[in-house]
Amino acid sequence: MTIWGLRTRHLLWIAVGLAFLIALPQVVKSSFAIDIFIRILLFSFIGVAWNLMGGYAKQLSLGHAAYFGLGAYTSTILQIDFGISPWIGMIAGGVVAMLASLPIGWLCFRLRGPYFTIATIATAQALMLIFLKFRDFAWGAEGITVPNLGNAPLMMQFEAKSSYYYVVLGLLALGLLITYLIERSWMGYYLVAIGEDEDAAEAIGVNAPKIKRDIYLISSFLTAMAGTFYTQYIYFIDPATAFSFNISIEAALVSIVGGIGTLWGPVVGTVLLETTSTLLQSWLGGSIGGVQLTVYSLILMAVILWRPTGLMGVATEAWQRYLRRRPARA
Amino acid sequence: MWETLAQAVINGLLIGGIYALVSIGVTLIFGVVKIVNFAQGEFVMIGMYISFFLANQFGIDPIVSLVVSMPVLFAVGVLIQHFLIRRVLGPNDMPQIFLTFALSLLLLNLALMLFTANYRTVHTSYSDEAIHIGELYIPVAKLIAFGVAMALSAALWIFLHTTDLGKAMRAASQNRDVATLMGINPNRVFCVALGIALALAGAAGSLLMPFYSAYPFVGQVFVLMAFVAVVLGTLGNVIGALIASLMMGVAESLGIQFVGADSGLIVVFAMLLLTLAFKPTGLGGGRAR
Repeated sequence: MTIWGLRTRHLLWIAVGLAFLIALPQVVKSSFAIDIFIRILLFSFIGVAWNLMGGYAKQLSLGHAAYFGLGAYTSTILQIDFGISPWIGMIAGGVVAMLASLPIGWLCFRLRGPYFTIATIATAQALMLIFLKFRDFAWGAEGITVPNLGNAPLMMQFEAKSSYYYVVLGLLALGLLITYLIERSWMGYYLVAIGEDEDAAEAIGVNAPKIKRDIYLISSFLTAMAGTFYTQYIYFIDPATAFSFNISIEAALVSIVGGIGTLWGPVVGTVLLETTSTLLQSWLGGSIGGVQLTVYSLILMAVILWRPTGLMGVATEAWQRYLRRRPARA
Repeated sequence: MWETLAQAVINGLLIGGIYALVSIGVTLIFGVVKIVNFAQGEFVMIGMYISFFLANQFGIDPIVSLVVSMPVLFAVGVLIQHFLIRRVLGPNDMPQIFLTFALSLLLLNLALMLFTANYRTVHTSYSDEAIHIGELYIPVAKLIAFGVAMALSAALWIFLHTTDLGKAMRAASQNRDVATLMGINPNRVFCVALGIALALAGAAGSLLMPFYSAYPFVGQVFVLMAFVAVVLGTLGNVIGALIASLMMGVAESLGIQFVGADSGLIVVFAMLLLTLAFKPTGLGGGRAR
C-alpha cells in the first residue's frame, strides 16, 4: 500500500513519531521543558520554510525576518485594532508576506549568490526601520503587549503551555508535508536544478524566475505564520523582536547545520543547536552575552569546512556504509 | 541654507573616506577571490580595539597606531585566506557565503564576551579641534582620517597598476584560469588580496578612533555601507567603490540634515533598492554577478 509514495513501513514510523510527540507534553509536565520543546518546534518550522527556498533552490536569504515580522504585525494589528482572531490574522499575515515577497523578490533576484544575500538583509532591515519610524500604525519602538484574555482558544491564547506546543507541532507538520509534496513534484526537481546551476536549468527550459518567485511566495507565507504564533506565545511585539536579524540567521543556520535541501535537515539542526544552547545556558547561567552565538558560529564553521552536507549528510553516509557491510538479503 | 548644504556635503565626504577604505577592501576581495567577505566590518572593529588598547595602555595616538593595526590585520588576512577561505573556493556559493558569515558572527560575539558591549572612546588633543572657514567648520580628526584614507586608496591604485604583484592581482581578477596559465600562483595572489583588504579595514578602524566609539557591533554600520557602495560602484571595481562610498557618505549626511537624525540608514537602503531596481549592474556598467 502506498499513499503519496509512502510505504506502509514509513507510515508506521510517522504514526509512532507523531504519537510520541503528541504524548510528550502529557508526560513531561515541567513548563521549562515544554518551553524548550516549543522553541525547537518553532525554529524547526522557520528552518523548514527557509529551506524550501534556501535549501532546494539555493537562494540563500538572510532576510526571512522580514516575513516573520510582517506576519507578527499583521495579526497583532488586526487583533488589537479590529478584534479579529489571530487564527484569521495568521492567514492574513501570510497573504501580506506573500504580497511583500513579490516586489522584494523582483528586486533581490536581480542579483545572484552573495549579493542576493546582501539584498535580502537590506530589505529586512529597511522594513524594521519603517516599523520603528512610523508610529501611526504600529506603536513605534516601544512595541505593544498583546492583551491577555486568559483561556481563549478562538483568539489563539491558552492557559496551558502544552496547547501552544500542539499549535506549533501542527505548523511544523504542515511545513514538512508541503516540503515533502514539493520535493516529489516537478517543482522540486526544478528547484534542485536551479540550485545546482541556474543558467543550465534555464537552458533546458526551466522558467527560473517564475519558479523562484513561486517558492518565495510559499516560503514567506509559512515564515509569516511562525511570526503570528510567536507573538501570541510571548504576548509582546516590537520591531526589534519581530524583525530581529537573529531570526534570519537561525532560519538559515539550522538548515545548513542539519542538512541543506533535505526534508529533515532543519529539524535535526534545530534539535542540535537548541539543545546545545540550553545546555550552555544552564552551565554558564546565561550571564555572559555572546556565548550562544559564538558556539553557533563555531558549529557552523565546522560543518562548512568538514561536512557541507550537514548532519543529514553524515547520517546518510553512515547508513550507506552500514548497508554495504551488511550481507545482501536473498 | 547654502552653508547648511555645504556643511552637510563636507561632513558626508569626510565620513565617506572611511566608508571607501572598507568598500575598497570588499570590492578587492570580490574582484580577485570572487567571494564576498561578510566579516569585513568586524575587522574594522578589531582595528578600533587595537588602537583603543594601544592608546589606553601605552598612550599611543590612534592614528600613529595604524603602523600596528595594518600589519596585524594583513597577517590575519593571509592566515584566513590560507587556512579557511582556500578550502571553500569552488563553484558552490553556499560554503563561501556562510564561512565568512560565520566568521563575522564569531568575531562579533567573541568581542562581546571579551570586551562587553560598553562603548570605548579615545580622547586626543585634536578630537575637539576644528578649522573654521567662514560659516563652515571642518573637524580636524575627520580631516586627518579623510586625508590618510585617500592617501591609502591612491597607494593601492599605484600598487595595482605599477608593481608585478599588483598586475598579477588584476590579471587574476580578470580571468583566473588564464592568469594561472601565465604562471601566477592564485593562492599567493589571494593571500595578498585578503591581507590588503583587511589592512585597509584595520586602517579604517584606527582612523575612526579619535572621533568614534568602539563597540562590538560597530562594524555592522560600516559593512552595510560598504556593501551598498560596492553594488553601486559595480562589483570588483576599486575606483567605482571609492566614488560610490563618497556619494553614500554625502547622501547619508544630507538625509540626516534634511530628513531627520535617524534617517541616515533609510537613505542608504533607499539608494540600494533604487540601484537594484534601475541599474543592477552598478553605475560603472558591467555584469552583475
